[in-house]
Amino acid sequence: MSIPVLICDDSALARKQVKKSLPSEWDVEVQFATNGREALEVLREKQIGVLFLDLTMPEIDGVGVLEANHAEKLVDFIIVVSADIQPEMQSRVSELGALAFIQKPVNTTKLTEILQQYGLL
Amino acid sequence: MNDITLTEDQRDCLQELINVAMGQASDKLARYLQTFVHLQVPYIELIDSTVLPERFAETYAEEGVSLVSQGFYGEKGILGESLLIYKSHDAHGIAEILGYEPDDVSEVEQLTDISSILTTTFLNGLAEQIDNQLAYSAPRVVSSMETPLEQHLQQLSFNWDLALKVDISYQVVDFSFNCDMVLLIPGEAIKNIQKVLDQILDEF
Repeated sequence: MSIPVLICDDSALARKQVKKSLPSEWDVEVQFATNGREALEVLREKQIGVLFLDLTMPEIDGVGVLEANHAEKLVDFIIVVSADIQPEMQSRVSELGALAFIQKPVNTTKLTEILQQYGLL
Repeated sequence: MNDITLTEDQRDCLQELINVAMGQASDKLARYLQTFVHLQVPYIELIDSTVLPERFAETYAEEGVSLVSQGFYGEKGILGESLLIYKSHDAHGIAEILGYEPDDVSEVEQLTDISSILTTTFLNGLAEQIDNQLAYSAPRVVSSMETPLEQHLQQLSFNWDLALKVDISYQVVDFSFNCDMVLLIPGEAIKNIQKVLDQILDEF
């Protein structure tokens, strides 16, 4: 059965980059959210297997989503895909339960490594 | 020249390239200063050359500013000027942030030091994403007390009627320090950037 995957980024290009970087052999059903508020709506409504999450976004940002998820336990696997790669930001998202941190721009090699590392692939 | 507009896709694409470059620049600064740099979503607009001095005057009216101005030139007709703008109290605080002793290093050198971290990391990050190589002119430090910004804008090495203005704000919270980065890209070069953006968009 396909794994439901949610890609959340305010940039259309970034959403497409993440989708295109997903390994072709990974059986997933992809949907998108354009900000943190939309992502939380989806997460509260249906079961999502893996969330790819940008940090700098309007309305509710990535940290806001991580905080809400920390309280509500909506999704187990969150992979942050971010341009903000400062050490303090990386440790902050990790404390809030993000599984992995990928520096933008994302590519298939990086993504595949992470997915294999956590047994998602 | 004034018929240039960015499509929504081009703007989104440019914004994402700038986000990534900005992230690299702030990471470099954060590691250098061992602090955290707060990032905001960059603001992109096409602006008429006649409006810019006025816009600067509005934004920086309250106090003097120091500005570090550096030209960049790449392949495929991509060129422009990067301006880093520091309000006076921010410029005076740089010695403390960089850990310099007072009077150790002149303010001009301090401004050049911190600007080179931000400008070159940012522009190299941008160039890498669009598969380009950039060369830089020597940075010039301009104080609004000595040279009105309007005069400096008129003296830039390229002529432009319309420019792509990208506003990026770096906020170093621990030191209450801010600076703004403005990229000015003249009309012809905007068209060249649009071509590059379209190529990237075609890939996805």
